[in-house]
Amino acid sequence: METQEVKTSTSQGGVDTFSYDDKIVRDFGIATTIWGIVGMLVGLMAALQLVWPALNITEYFSFGRIRPLHTNAVIFAFVGNGIFMGTYYSLQRLMKARMFSDKLSKLHFWGWQLIIVAAAITLPLGITSSWEYAELEWPIDLAIAVVWVIFGINMFGTILKRRENHLYVAVWFYIGTWITVTVLHVIKNLEIPYSMMHSIPVFAGVQDALIQWWYGHNAVAFFLTTPYLGLMYYFLPKAANRPVYSYRLSIIHFWALIFIYIWAGPHHLLYTSLPDWAQSLGTVFSIMLIAPSWGGMLNGLLTLRGAWDRVRQDPILKFMVIAVTAYGMATLEGPLLSIKSINAISHYTDWTVGHVHVGTLGWNGMLTFGILYWLWPRLYKTQLYSVSLANTHFWLATMGTLFYCVPLYWAGWTQSMMWKKFTPDGFLEYGNFLETVTQIIPMYQLRALGGAIYVVGVLIMAYNLYRTARSSSGVEDTTVQVAPRVKYVKAKGDHWHRWIERRPIQMLIFSAIVVLIGGIVEIIPMLIIDKNVPKIESVQPYTALELEGRDLYIKEGCVNCHSQMVRPFRSETERYGEFSKSGEFIYDRPFLWGSKRTGPDLHRVGGKYTHIWHYEHMRDPQSMSPGSIMPAYPHLLENEINTTYTKAKINVLRNMLNTPYPYNYAENAVDDLRKQAAEITAELREQGIDQEDVESKEIIALIAYLQRLGTDIKPKQ
Amino acid sequence: MYKYILESAGDINWMALFALITFFSVFGISAIMVFRKDKETLSHIANLPLADGDIVETNIEKR
Repeated sequence: METQEVKTSTSQGGVDTFSYDDKIVRDFGIATTIWGIVGMLVGLMAALQLVWPALNITEYFSFGRIRPLHTNAVIFAFVGNGIFMGTYYSLQRLMKARMFSDKLSKLHFWGWQLIIVAAAITLPLGITSSWEYAELEWPIDLAIAVVWVIFGINMFGTILKRRENHLYVAVWFYIGTWITVTVLHVIKNLEIPYSMMHSIPVFAGVQDALIQWWYGHNAVAFFLTTPYLGLMYYFLPKAANRPVYSYRLSIIHFWALIFIYIWAGPHHLLYTSLPDWAQSLGTVFSIMLIAPSWGGMLNGLLTLRGAWDRVRQDPILKFMVIAVTAYGMATLEGPLLSIKSINAISHYTDWTVGHVHVGTLGWNGMLTFGILYWLWPRLYKTQLYSVSLANTHFWLATMGTLFYCVPLYWAGWTQSMMWKKFTPDGFLEYGNFLETVTQIIPMYQLRALGGAIYVVGVLIMAYNLYRTARSSSGVEDTTVQVAPRVKYVKAKGDHWHRWIERRPIQMLIFSAIVVLIGGIVEIIPMLIIDKNVPKIESVQPYTALELEGRDLYIKEGCVNCHSQMVRPFRSETERYGEFSKSGEFIYDRPFLWGSKRTGPDLHRVGGKYTHIWHYEHMRDPQSMSPGSIMPAYPHLLENEINTTYTKAKINVLRNMLNTPYPYNYAENAVDDLRKQAAEITAELREQGIDQEDVESKEIIALIAYLQRLGTDIKPKQ
Repeated sequence: MYKYILESAGDINWMALFALITFFSVFGISAIMVFRKDKETLSHIANLPLADGDIVETNIEKR
């Protein structure tokens, strides 16, 4: 019925001649390649620092500051530009229309690149919120929101002026991505600024943790996965020159995936102080995720039915096959890691890092490379400079991924077993945490080698693409002739899904509803029901000095290597002390539970060591812990404590966030800070430190914070 | 009001139940609708990526 309508109307209409905006696709493609190299080189640098701590050159390039730079660069700069490259190319062709506005496209492009540059400047300076994958501070958050809205207007404008009635499933994934990222970004970044570059989060402790991992997990889901699935559904059929194996399966894949993904965040918080019901929801939905994920993977692989002979020769298809397979592996492993008994072993170890890199190096990286190789000759109207170099890149990327991931699985498992091992007498076999670190250094070396191999492959690709572009004799936009859109007349027996799939706004609203169900049911009860976070009478707000010390802990990125969450296992309570309670974190804005233990947990470190131990350890970690891979922080002994914003911070905490500081504490905060600093300095002097003016240095604030950690519920001596 | 209802629910197990039911509703409804679609429309949509008029063979495919 519908086909007949289309045919009839087409014959009545004329033909539109127009061109696609290919320049914007080229620009995003170039940005993808450049930022990919930068982001991966920073990652390689971080990997090498774990082997040779001397590579922590200056405070600006120490591990704690460049690890978030690496994650932000590869996620938002490399993959982000990759998403936009693929979306701008495919959307125009699927909609049979040029982008809605060339100006908006340019604003989008340059706005996004400026945000990346801002991140590259602020993160090494230690300007960070400390939330994983949302480290950027509030002015940059606002800029991201503006640019994202520009992208949205441009995308929906294009969809609305389309010449094709139906929205192909790739476009659904783009729409679902756009709305969900919007919701995630806004809710995650609810914070109150107290200066031009700093802010205090609205939520604290357990609530902040739940929202963080609701966001963090869905950053993986809706930035690294759903838009790339859209790209897979477009570029894989293009490269294989055959339609997707089952279009029906792709529809179920879409709805089931976006519905389930949003619930799975709490699997990042198993065995923590998060209430059990939220942990269970995270586990159940994570396991359910296998079904749609594998449905999508199989749909991708089966699209190549009858074309497997080409896979042996065509590097593009090779990249895409490995990408889809890596997607399948990562989405099987993710749910398995969400099972509590497995998570008890894997969490806080390098196993998680290995798992993540199967997804990023395998799925995101390989799909991006495949798309770039497919697009470049078409965008530059030429031939690929060297197919054999592309094949070389494929093997380097594959070997690099294996050399990266396998050692980390080994390292994660080994270290976790060492953490948990007891002697026959009931003592920890490896009571010194450092022993479990030095044991896995060879694995870190192999991981760095894997990363280096992968980066070499990317450099070869960049050269190949550059030579391809140079061989082009001209790059005009692609001009096409297409019949105008035919107004659709509802046929008898049409059902609601057809109604949605032709209308982007309905698709947007339905996607938003489906996604919001999970967020609302999971998060709202946590925010409004007090009994989810039982109060502990002895837990008090941080003093002004401790607060400044905590901000230094955040600035230096200590959370990247140290957790503050003792899980209720005997192996942890023996090593660290009493397990962590949710009520202990009610004044923690942001929460600092961490997700990786390259160093030991610090929640009960307060009172464990003397002040001088901390002083010397921060100056030169190897002096107190020979063999330690922790960076040195000598600048903390030289820099003055910044009290410019102490009053403003206390004011926000007391007046806007109901932290029970005494009346007028903000006015006296700096005096109180000096008083406590003098007390700590006096002890340091007794212990033998004779550094001049040490009282006003940052090290004192950090010692105050570290000595406070976890002591609120300890019996006073 | 909402807070009162939630608190009176005792434990919050109903959420898991609610989640499961809504999931199977979403999954079930989309599956039913998908299988009611006519083949011609599906084929038309599935072929959209291949019907954009810029199929060019490069040296990668020609090998």
